[in-house]
Amino acid sequence: MTTAQFLQNLLNGISIGSVYAIFALGYTLVFSILGIINFAHGAIFTLGAYFTYTLAVGEFGINGLLSGLTLDLQIPFALSLLIGSVLAGMVGVLLERLAFKPLRTRGADSLLALVSSLGVALVIVNAIQYLVGAEIYTFPSQVYGDIKPAMMFEVAGQSVVVRTVQVIIFAVCMVILTLLGYVISFTRIGKALQAVAENQTTASLLGISVDKIILVTFFMSGFLGGLAGTLVGTSFGIAGPYFGVTYGLKGLAVIVLGGLGSVPGAVLGGIVIGLAEAFVPPDYSAYKEAVAFAFLFIVLLVRPQGLLGRSMIQKV
Amino acid sequence: MTDFLQNNGFLLVTMVQQALLAMSLYYPLMCGQLSLASPGFYALGGYVAAIIGTIEYFAPWRDSLGWVIFPLEWLAAGIISGFLAVLVGIPALRLRGIYLALATIAFVEILRVVCLNLEITGGAIGIFGVPQLFESRWSYIWTFGPLLMLMLFFSYRLDRSRVGRAFKAIREDELAADAMGINPTRYKVLAFVIGAVLAGVVGAMSAPFLNTWNARQGTFDASIAYLAYVLIGGSRSMWGPLLGGMMLSALPEILRPLKDSRLIINGFVLVFASIYMPKGIAGAVGNLKNFTTRILGIGRSEK
Repeated sequence: MTTAQFLQNLLNGISIGSVYAIFALGYTLVFSILGIINFAHGAIFTLGAYFTYTLAVGEFGINGLLSGLTLDLQIPFALSLLIGSVLAGMVGVLLERLAFKPLRTRGADSLLALVSSLGVALVIVNAIQYLVGAEIYTFPSQVYGDIKPAMMFEVAGQSVVVRTVQVIIFAVCMVILTLLGYVISFTRIGKALQAVAENQTTASLLGISVDKIILVTFFMSGFLGGLAGTLVGTSFGIAGPYFGVTYGLKGLAVIVLGGLGSVPGAVLGGIVIGLAEAFVPPDYSAYKEAVAFAFLFIVLLVRPQGLLGRSMIQKV
Repeated sequence: MTDFLQNNGFLLVTMVQQALLAMSLYYPLMCGQLSLASPGFYALGGYVAAIIGTIEYFAPWRDSLGWVIFPLEWLAAGIISGFLAVLVGIPALRLRGIYLALATIAFVEILRVVCLNLEITGGAIGIFGVPQLFESRWSYIWTFGPLLMLMLFFSYRLDRSRVGRAFKAIREDELAADAMGINPTRYKVLAFVIGAVLAGVVGAMSAPFLNTWNARQGTFDASIAYLAYVLIGGSRSMWGPLLGGMMLSALPEILRPLKDSRLIINGFVLVFASIYMPKGIAGAVGNLKNFTTRILGIGRSEK
């Protein structure tokens, strides 16, 4: 591998890895509070991309209930991204109220939360298909403003292509990660979140409204999922209502690799899997999709607590 | 009647097939292990049958054996699935709860990507023109039906056997079961292998039924569908996967008059069923039975 190829892979890996990281954080937040995996997270990822598309572009294709509709909202992309992600966060709150809370209050088997969240995922994905069809939607190439789509660098006689989208994705992810780190570590709500994650009963005895914290968590989770969906959408297009499924599953690999419930772990896991995928040799690129799952499988066998997770204690 | 079977034969056979796949997930669940590996073994079994049925190498066998090749395909699929299940199961079953579920999701996805890229499995296109065992779709009830009967009898016997009791002991408390002299790993692997062999055989029966086989047969969506069958049907008795598999696989067809919105409704059904019927349909039926017994004062009430 030449230096140029190495740099190119590194760049591609870090860019996609940072999206995996913020997406996987959505899983992690919910898992650390409730100890369950929200299987509708992939659907919220998809939904976020569609929300932003509707706000920023708003041109629909020939299928679905909204076929041929053109919404000319003229909302700047940055604002659309924000509103779209907030809407996705609100869907996350709705999801918690519809699919998780009723099960919690009834003290139902935690496996059922899997089924009910998947039910919601099914509703979301098919509602999208019902409304706007299964076609591919792409953001216009100038969505991030009037800047060059790519830059070329010469490294040791070979060129490295830096796509502007990649840089923006990485920058947005870093801003979000810093912000999230600040909120979790230094604000009242973040401290409350940590307390609830540690022990719900004790937290509620200390006067923390557990129910409110759960809602905040689902909002943040949905926001991160929706944001990740939009960022991927601007880079590769929205490949139909099912495009979140693969990311949903890869996200699971990310959180297991980093350690279930660990926030820094999710970030590290995302970057590691992004890089591992980028460094798959071109001859084996068809197997790229399996890399994340190979990681998942091996980590579970060798170190089930993940890279940065706490080791599991067997309770009698 | 014949008209009805002609028109709905495919759906009816599919219902039986899905009930069988639901049962393949039920055995690991009997000892408290959530495994989502069934679609992987189902896909594998189907590939075994499709490959034996189509490639040149087996042509003399097919010519000389006639229909006997089909039971041999089922046998081969069962053996290969069982063997792979032992290999995957021994390390994976050290993990519990959600970890095992995640490991099996990874297994299904890896298998899918591998099948998508190998030459022998036909790549992304898959394998076409798998030889048929029967002429009509409906006739396949003569392969799936007896298998379902056999599995129901097997489950009934298993439930009352030493092995079945060991399964349930592990489900209730693994450490206590271990202390009682039950080897948890052995029984967990056994339950996993039983489910895998069943899924493999169902796959081998399904490849001729569907005529074509590809990597889309074993996906995460299928894992979830089977899990929903068992949990909505009821995971505490063998009637649960049977009822859940049959009813949920028929649901999209029953909702067909609703056209495009039917899958949305299907999603809501899953949400509300898990909230309002936590013990599944079988559990709800059991409650109803207890209720009528109490009111009427006849029969024996079950706990």
